[in-house]
Amino acid sequence: MIKIVKRDQPSRTIFFLTPVLAIILTLFAGGLIFYILGFKPFEALKFFFIVPIADMYGFSELLLKATPLCLIAIGLSFCFKSNNWNIGAEGQLTFGAIVSGGVALLFYNQEGFYILPIVILAGAIGGMLYASIPAILKTYFNTNEILVSLMLVYVSKLILDYLVVGPWSNPEGFNFPETRQFSESARLPILFEGLRIHAGIFLALAAVVVSWFIFYKTYLGFQMKVSGFSLKTAKYAGYKGKKMIILVFLISGACAGLAGVGEITGPIGQLHREVSPDYGFTAIIVAFLGRLHPVGIIFASLIVAITYLGAETAQIFMQIPKYTGQVFQGMILFFLLASDYLLFFKIKFKGSKK
Amino acid sequence: MNTNLKISNVTKIYPGCVANDNVSLEFNSGKIYALLGENGAGKSTLVKILSGVIKPNEGEIFLNKNILKLNSPLDAKKNDIGMVFQHFNLFETLSVFENLIIDSNETKEVLREKIDSIMKKYNFLINLDVPVLNLSAGQKQKVEIIRCLIRNPKVLIMDEPTSVLTEQETSELFLSLKKFSEEGILIIYITHKLKEVMQLCDEVAVMRKGKLVSVSEIKSENIESLAKKMVGQNLKTIKKKKLETSADQLIKITNLNFISEDPFETNLNNINFSVNRGECLGIAGISGNGQSELFQILSGEIISDKSSIEFNKNYIGDLNPQERREYLMAFSPEDRLEQAAIPQMKIFENVALNNFKSSNFFNNGLINESKIKEHAKKIISDFNVNTDNIELKSQFLSGGNLQKLIIGRELITSPDLLICFNPTWGLDVGAINYIHETLIKINEQNKSIILISTDTDELLKLSDKISVIHKGELSKIMSAEEVTSEKLGVLMGGGEID
Repeated sequence: MIKIVKRDQPSRTIFFLTPVLAIILTLFAGGLIFYILGFKPFEALKFFFIVPIADMYGFSELLLKATPLCLIAIGLSFCFKSNNWNIGAEGQLTFGAIVSGGVALLFYNQEGFYILPIVILAGAIGGMLYASIPAILKTYFNTNEILVSLMLVYVSKLILDYLVVGPWSNPEGFNFPETRQFSESARLPILFEGLRIHAGIFLALAAVVVSWFIFYKTYLGFQMKVSGFSLKTAKYAGYKGKKMIILVFLISGACAGLAGVGEITGPIGQLHREVSPDYGFTAIIVAFLGRLHPVGIIFASLIVAITYLGAETAQIFMQIPKYTGQVFQGMILFFLLASDYLLFFKIKFKGSKK
Repeated sequence: MNTNLKISNVTKIYPGCVANDNVSLEFNSGKIYALLGENGAGKSTLVKILSGVIKPNEGEIFLNKNILKLNSPLDAKKNDIGMVFQHFNLFETLSVFENLIIDSNETKEVLREKIDSIMKKYNFLINLDVPVLNLSAGQKQKVEIIRCLIRNPKVLIMDEPTSVLTEQETSELFLSLKKFSEEGILIIYITHKLKEVMQLCDEVAVMRKGKLVSVSEIKSENIESLAKKMVGQNLKTIKKKKLETSADQLIKITNLNFISEDPFETNLNNINFSVNRGECLGIAGISGNGQSELFQILSGEIISDKSSIEFNKNYIGDLNPQERREYLMAFSPEDRLEQAAIPQMKIFENVALNNFKSSNFFNNGLINESKIKEHAKKIISDFNVNTDNIELKSQFLSGGNLQKLIIGRELITSPDLLICFNPTWGLDVGAINYIHETLIKINEQNKSIILISTDTDELLKLSDKISVIHKGELSKIMSAEEVTSEKLGVLMGGGEID
C-alpha cells in the first residue's frame, strides 16, 4: 500500500532533485511516444539527445542555442523571484532585435570598432523600453503584467513583420521579407573558425555571474527575496515597491533584448521574420527548471537547448516533425510541476516504520 | 436526544514529543466543556484527533457508545462533529453564501432558506452576498459556525475562538454558544483564557504537557486555581507603576483624513491626538473599525499629508516606513506571519527587515551578513527568544518566540516611539506576560507607545491614556484611571458616554 503524507516543510534535497526527476520522466515518456509512433525508443532518443551533440559542430550548436535561453532566463529570474510575472520576454527579445537591427542597418555600409558596442547597447535599450510598458502599466494603472507582456509579444512580431516587408526590406532583395546584411563590424565575432558559436556566450556568462552576485550578496537581491515572499512585508519594511517592479522588468527586458542582439548579429546577420524560435517563451521553462538559480539556469538552458537540436536531427533522419522539440519542452515543464508535488508531500510505503 | 462523547486512552506521539499521553475524557450534551491549557499542552492535537485530521497512535473515540473511526475530516462531519478552528478555513474571494454551500448537496434555494432561518434564530447579521474578505474576524467566525450548524451537529468544537474577537463579539459568541448548548449540542471549548472558562463553561478539563491534569466542575474552581493547574506554578501579576508623565510632546496627529479607494477599507475621519514622552496611548475598538488603516498611516505604509503627522518637531506624513525608522519610530504590525516576518526566511534574515541606517546591515548596497547575525544574536539573548540557532527558518519559532523576535528587532534600535497592533494576539500566558513587561519597561525608559489593540484588558493594563476608534473616528482621549471596560464597551459599540 502506498500512502501520501504531507511534509512538515518543503524538502531542500527534493528541491534540487525534482528537475533531474523531471528530465528522467521526460525521457521515459518521450521514449514511449516514439514507441507508439513506431520507432525504436532508444534509437530515437539517441537521435534526439546524443547524435546532435556528438561532434564539435553539434556542441557549438548546443551552446549557440543555450546562449539566448540562458540569458533570457537569467533576466526572467529577476522578475519571477520578486513576484512579477513577465512572460513577454519573446516580445522584449524581438523589440531588442528591431532596435539593434535598425541601428546596425544605419551602418550597413560602414566599418569600425565602435559599431558593435552601439548595436549591442541599442538592443539592450530596446528590450528595456519594451519591458517598461507592462511595468509602468502595472505600477501606475494596476494592470495585470501577465496579459500585457504576453500581448505585446504579438505586437512586436507584427512590427517586425511590417518593417522587414516594408520600409526596411532590402532594396536589392527581390522582395524577400528581409533586410540588408549587416556590415562585418556589426557582427559578433565568431569564436572558432567553421563553427557558429559567437561571442554572445560571454554576455550570457557575465549575466550568470552578475545575477548570482545580485541575488545573494546585495540589498537589491534581499529586497527581491522579501517581495517574492510577501509584498505586505516589503511594504512594511519600507522598500520602494514601484521602483523595484520597474527595475526588475528593465533588467529582464535588457537581458531579452541582448539575446535578440545575439541572434541577429550572431548567426543571422540581418533582420527577417523569424529572429527567434520562441526562445523567449522557452526561457520561462529554463528559468523554472533551473530553480531560478543562476547555476541551475546554465544546466537547464543546455538541456532545453538539446531539444531544439534533437528536433532538427530527428526531422532529418527520422522524418519526425521538428515540433516534437516543443513536445519535449512541454513535457519537461509538465513533469517539473508534477514532481514539485514531492516538495510538499512524501510517498510512504505501508509496512515501513518511520 | 442525549449525546455522549468519550475519549478513551488516546495517545499521540510526534517525533520528539508526546502530544497526548493516555488522555481519557467523557462529555455529555447539555453542558459546555472547557479544554484548558497553554500553547503546546496538547489541546490542539486532541482536537485534531476528534476532527479526523490526525489519527492517534493508540486509543479510541466513542460517540453514543459507538466506536468512531475518524480517518478524515469528512468522517467527523458525517458523524455530526462540527469544528471551528482558530484559523479560518474560508475562501476569501468567494461570497459568504458560496462558502456556506460549497460542501453541500442540497439545492441553493433550500440552503438559503436554511441559512436564513439559522441567522434569524441566533440573531446573526451577515450579508450573504459579499466576499468573505470584507468581513471582520467576528463575522468570519459566524460564517464558520453557520457552516457547522447547517449540518445539525451533535458536537461543536471551538478551538480558541476568541483570539480574534473583541469583547463585544466575545460576549455575543458566548450567548450563541449557551443557546446551542440549551438546544442539546455538546460544546467543547478550547482555550487558554481563564476568564472565559469561568464565564462560559460548566466543566473544565486542564491539560499540561500532553497530560490531562484535572477534570472538575467550574463551581469548585476559581481563576487562581485554574491558572495554577494550567501553568503548574503561580502566575505573577503585572502591574504598571504610575509614572510622572511628562508634558514633552513626541508625536502629534492633526486633522488626519484617509479616504480609501478600496470600498472595503475603512475611511478615517479627522483623527487628532498626541502622545507625550514616556506615555502609552491605547486605542481600543472592534476589529475592522479603521485600526489597520490607522496603523498603516502611522507606519508609513500608507502615505498621508506631510503636515498631518508631526514627530519630534518634524513633519513626516509623507515618509515611508524605512525613512520614519530613521526618526526613531518602530512598528510591530498585527500579522506576524504575513507581514511582520517571513516564515520561510531565516531568523537573521528577518532581523534585517528593520533596516536602520546606523545598524549597517547593508553597506553600499551589499549585504553585511556578519553584522546582521551579530545583531540577531543580541536580539535573541536580550529578548529571551527561545532558540540558539539564528540560521533556523522563523517558521519553526512558536508564536510567542516569533513575537519576541519581532518586538526585539523593533526595540533594539531604541526607538522613541513603538507603534504596535495587537501585539499579544494568539499568544500563551507566558509570552503575553513577557511582552507586557517589555512594553511597560519601554515607558519606564521615557519612551512612548501607541498600542492599538482589540484586547480591552491589555489596554487597561498598559495604557496611560485611552481612546476608542469606531467607524474610522476617534473618541475623545481619556486618562486610563477614568476608564472602565464597560465605558470602553459602550464607545466601541458606537455609543456615547459623558
